[in-house]
Amino acid sequence: MLRLGYDERAAALLVFPVVAVLLVVAAFPILYSFWISLHDVVLTRPLRRPFVGLDNYLRVFADERFWIAVARTTVYTVVTVAATTVLAVLVALLLNEAFPGQRLLNALLLLPWATPSVVNGLMWKWIYDPSYGLLNGLLVQLGVLERYRAWLGDPDLTLLLIANAAVWKQMPLAALLLIVTMKAIPEDLYRAAKVDGAGTFRRFLHVTLPALRPGLMLVLVYETMISIRHFDLFLIMTQGGPGDASFTLSWFIYVETFRSLRFGTGAALSYILAMATFLLSYLFIRFLGRRL
Amino acid sequence: MAGVLARRGLLAATGSAAALGAAGLGARAARAQAGGTVNFIGWSAAVDQVRAQISAFERATGIRVNYENFPWAQFRTALVTRLVGNAPIDVSWISDAWLPEFAEAGWLANIDDIPELMKYNAEAAEYCTQSMRYRGRQYGLAYYGDHMSFMVNAELLQRAGIPQPPATWDEVVQASLRIKQQGIAEYPLLLSLAADTWLIEFVSALVFSHGGRFVDERGEAVMADPARGAVRAARFLREAIHTHRIVSPGAVETAEINGLRAFGSGAHAFAIVPTYRIRALNDPSQSQAAGRIRLALMPKGGPEGTNETCGWIRFYGMTPGAKNDRARRERAARFIEFFGGRDTAGNYSMQKLLLTDLGLPFCTLPLNQDPEVQGFWTRWAGEGGGAVIAAQSARTRKKDVISPWFGEWVETANQAWQSVCLGRAEPEAAMRAAAAKWTELRRAFR
Repeated sequence: MLRLGYDERAAALLVFPVVAVLLVVAAFPILYSFWISLHDVVLTRPLRRPFVGLDNYLRVFADERFWIAVARTTVYTVVTVAATTVLAVLVALLLNEAFPGQRLLNALLLLPWATPSVVNGLMWKWIYDPSYGLLNGLLVQLGVLERYRAWLGDPDLTLLLIANAAVWKQMPLAALLLIVTMKAIPEDLYRAAKVDGAGTFRRFLHVTLPALRPGLMLVLVYETMISIRHFDLFLIMTQGGPGDASFTLSWFIYVETFRSLRFGTGAALSYILAMATFLLSYLFIRFLGRRL
Repeated sequence: MAGVLARRGLLAATGSAAALGAAGLGARAARAQAGGTVNFIGWSAAVDQVRAQISAFERATGIRVNYENFPWAQFRTALVTRLVGNAPIDVSWISDAWLPEFAEAGWLANIDDIPELMKYNAEAAEYCTQSMRYRGRQYGLAYYGDHMSFMVNAELLQRAGIPQPPATWDEVVQASLRIKQQGIAEYPLLLSLAADTWLIEFVSALVFSHGGRFVDERGEAVMADPARGAVRAARFLREAIHTHRIVSPGAVETAEINGLRAFGSGAHAFAIVPTYRIRALNDPSQSQAAGRIRLALMPKGGPEGTNETCGWIRFYGMTPGAKNDRARRERAARFIEFFGGRDTAGNYSMQKLLLTDLGLPFCTLPLNQDPEVQGFWTRWAGEGGGAVIAAQSARTRKKDVISPWFGEWVETANQAWQSVCLGRAEPEAAMRAAAAKWTELRRAFR
């Protein structure tokens, strides 16, 4: 039998309140929402909530909207994560150099990240506005466009435009994480590479990039988790439209849960999304992490 | 010494004032205690007017009111979660679109056995009363009732040499093309087709004026029927956007409030707008087109076309929790009467206040004879504007898709309409998808 000493007992006592709070506010809701996902819970029919087992999951998989949402979410996540990562690497490379105004640029870089998500969404919605938007005004004045156009009303562009708004906000944090990683690269490696005759590009390819792997993995995992579950921009900018152009998984969950008030299928969808997020993160860590 | 006395005097005066204040507060609390409390929940509209009426109600009855409000976009969800959680709500604003699902869920109490409320049916527009009825029972008194109106910018029509507002949707197309060719407006017809709660009301107005229906009298989906369904209206929309280019492709991201602003900017000749917006549109402090916006009957669409439009009402509903408790029921009934009927002085004060302050039309027939009300319509809708509103009211239908599954079906329907507007779906196919969802939900409800 395990016998705890005074220190262990004191530690357990001190940790207990936090564990209790976590059980109440995290573990219980997670388990309860799984329980709900096994029932046909429709809020507008409060007197019936039959146990349906995995029917909600099967119903979701059989729903054409689910596969539309999966496709939209995949496109959005790939575009957002790729653009964020590439831009963050470029910005990190720039800010890792010493030049006049570098500190100011460092501070300015953080502004988008510090902007609240709702403000970010509204700002970009106004920029894309078909009647008075900045983008239209700029492109018409530059002669690129003949007349104003409805950017977010074009289903071929909607996801990309929302992704652009997301990248604008998320890139600074990713760049910051990469700068921190870059600062840790020993200067000797660059000197040695120079001595060996490596140019700027080869130094980036053979010194910087391999050393950036831990930071890149962190950025990839974090950005994927954020993008795959992104909701606020879709709520503010397009409400899943036009048509189903921005009908992503998180939007589907919102519609099913808070508009159709089908909490059973909403919970099932949430679990599917959570599992997908977990699986992707696991794969990133498993395959990228092994090379670290 | 004098200083000490002065300080004592000040302390005494302060103490007395505090005591008097406390006594006053105590008396008010006691009155409120004696009168009890009504818990009222509404969406964030007409907040100042509601607060003013609440003050009048509290003064007149001694009943205190706890008033909460939430944004319209989140209201249904906020209300449902409170009702599911048995929150102590006595009275709530309800949309006619939610009535069947709320009544089926047991969240609304009928008022058939409350004669002091039912007596107002004698003075209410029949359409309004019908909109508050479900399965033969009535569930409240009207907050306001309105319909979609066809509005024109008289100045743009005059500049284009169009003497009369068009009477059919074909004429709207011809007039719009003329306006467009003359360079007066790029998109003469303004439609707000964002996928929000207003979309079904806009498209219902189009469907009804094209002589179509979403469902028949038995509740069967006929929206995909080319002869009597919504297909003609859907085809009109698609052609207006993609063939004639008289409606902006940006209509799919234009919410009702943005449409109002765009029409008020004077950039469009025709629009479908809720009638109550006429006040804002002709108010120089809110609209650049002020004084130029006039009302016309909803144009007829095609050979089966009518001047019919879509109407809606919002009403004061009582919860079963309030109705089942005698004291709460009495207080809630007095509240509903004061707001949705006559106040204690015998006036329809709330309805008049909502009209004169915000332009919200009422369901109360006697008020139509009120000189102030007539003056209001003449001022904001122009000479004859009141008559057009009355004529359109007589040709107003409530949404035929109101059902216990409306909230779920409308998500699919909105997507179908937007797909048509984007040119991504044939009108027939889109309406078939909406009809299939309707049938599926209807079967599941049984």
